[in-house]
Amino acid sequence: MISPVIQAEGLSKRYGRREALSDCTLSIPPKHVVGLVGPNGAGKTTLLHVAVGLLPPTKGRIEVLGGRPASDPAQLARVGFVAQDAPTYAGLSIADHLRFGAHTNPRWDQRMAEERITKLGLDPSQKAGRLSGGQRAQLALTMAIAKRPELLILDEPVASLDPLARREFLQGLMGFIADQDASVILSSHLVSDLERVCDYLIVLVASRVRVAGEVDDLLASHFRLTGPRRDPADLPPGTEVIEDSHTDRQSTFIVRRAAPIDDPALSVEQLTLEDLVLAYMSRAPRNPHPALETTP
Amino acid sequence: MIWFTWRQFRAQTWITIGALAALGGVLVITAGSIADAYEAANVANCGGNCADALDAFLQQVRGSTSGTVYDLTNVLLHVMPVLIGVFWGAPLIARELETGTHRLAWNQSVTRTRWLAAKLGIIGTATAATAGLLTWAVSVWAQDVDSATGDRIAPGLFEIRGIVPIGYALFAFTLGVALGMIIRRTVPAMAATLGIYVVTAISMTEWLRAHLISATHTIKPLDITSPGALETLNINPETNQVIVRGSANLPDAWVLSNESITDAGHVFTGPINMQACGDNQSPETCLNWVDSLGLRQELSYHPANHFWPLQWAETGILLGLSALLVGFCFWWIRRRVS
Repeated sequence: MISPVIQAEGLSKRYGRREALSDCTLSIPPKHVVGLVGPNGAGKTTLLHVAVGLLPPTKGRIEVLGGRPASDPAQLARVGFVAQDAPTYAGLSIADHLRFGAHTNPRWDQRMAEERITKLGLDPSQKAGRLSGGQRAQLALTMAIAKRPELLILDEPVASLDPLARREFLQGLMGFIADQDASVILSSHLVSDLERVCDYLIVLVASRVRVAGEVDDLLASHFRLTGPRRDPADLPPGTEVIEDSHTDRQSTFIVRRAAPIDDPALSVEQLTLEDLVLAYMSRAPRNPHPALETTP
Repeated sequence: MIWFTWRQFRAQTWITIGALAALGGVLVITAGSIADAYEAANVANCGGNCADALDAFLQQVRGSTSGTVYDLTNVLLHVMPVLIGVFWGAPLIARELETGTHRLAWNQSVTRTRWLAAKLGIIGTATAATAGLLTWAVSVWAQDVDSATGDRIAPGLFEIRGIVPIGYALFAFTLGVALGMIIRRTVPAMAATLGIYVVTAISMTEWLRAHLISATHTIKPLDITSPGALETLNINPETNQVIVRGSANLPDAWVLSNESITDAGHVFTGPINMQACGDNQSPETCLNWVDSLGLRQELSYHPANHFWPLQWAETGILLGLSALLVGFCFWWIRRRVS
């Protein structure tokens, strides 16, 4: 059996008194392009840093591809990582970076790395400090891809890029996904960045995982219900209310439900991924089933 | 990792090699004038008049370019460990943490322990080699001057001769690395390295070194009447105190204390005999009175043959501190840094 890409149980990370990641339990199946989405400060970077072994967890257990993160060179070789803002050595040239990768990675594909740099129209002798944000991100991506990892993790790879660079970066990423039989996890605070590439989604809000699953399953099990004003408790059983809003006469619910709803009083609508994510993001953290507000 | 560490360090390597080569050139050019002065003062065949020959030699060297070079090498050797600690040690990890490049480096297929080991090993070796080479070149060049002054064991010269500069350089380097790792910012780490290094180096010279091996003690009759035997005679009628000190007359030694003591073993401070040392008495009368007291001279010093035992002891301490700092770095990079 192939081990999950990430298997986490009760994973927590504290910085002093602040909890950056709380009781995170996840099992991400392999061969997916996973979007990790959540507002800024939700704990996305912390989760990814724990997964690549840059941070030790405070509590809980995590296995990445069945191994402990960054435990040995073999484990490191299996996971590629592009950190936020794509750090590179400003004083070193692109060629130096590729040579660094070649010297430190057993499965390094130098030909592919060079081809990618040429295709991007970059001069290998150029210093990384002189590159634009988009070019630097491409260099970092090239290094991570040329390592030929089984899992590629990217932390907010496009956040600081302009729309064109963003599109080019995501095209490059798609190219990798098409060529290699690898899993990818990328984080963003914008669903629109992830929508076109991801087939698996994790929503992380206020240090907790709110929902995780395959995009198709999520879309098939979440609905917008509109109907005469009613209390969420009066919805058919097996319905989990994610978000509700009410006017004097009408109630709108975003719900999760395995089975279709058979209630003639309600109109049922499919959600877009963005609506779904926004619903989870705006959901009050400690109050999953808010009582109907009494309107004056 | 080795290639990459060298690649990151390339500029510093060339600067260092260039500076060492330039200094080597200056030493080679000026070595001749020292040899000439040595020859001219006839130190080798000085027979019974060696003190004068050495003085003439030193005077001639001091007045020449070699004298300036000698002073400059003294300064250079004293600041060399600081430069290494501040410019090689402190930025080594701090700059990676500051710019976030450690996240790139630590996600190649090399554990961060090996990454750190490569950096510490390569730059540490460069540190020891630079310090050793520089000290060796200057020591060879200044050999005749050092033996003429007999100051090799004295503070000021001791720490820039022998093997102890290697210890100081490695200590400064590892201190810089460790502070850079804790502080995570290059410039503050450089400042902290400078501060802590200077305090450590001064403490070592001022308080610790004299006690590293036990000093030699001698007690002998105080001689203040032979020519040149008196060092100090200080009479203070207001406090009724006399301070008298005979010359230590230990040319190649590091004198730690030199006191005149009474039969009872106390340091002699008076009282003044106003009949011998009053305002209208000649200094000779006063000196003869002090001489008649039967005082003894108590000396505590490190003779010239303590040079190497002291060098080994001090180098050992500095290497021990460096090893602790290296151990700390490995612990810290595994537990605390992200």
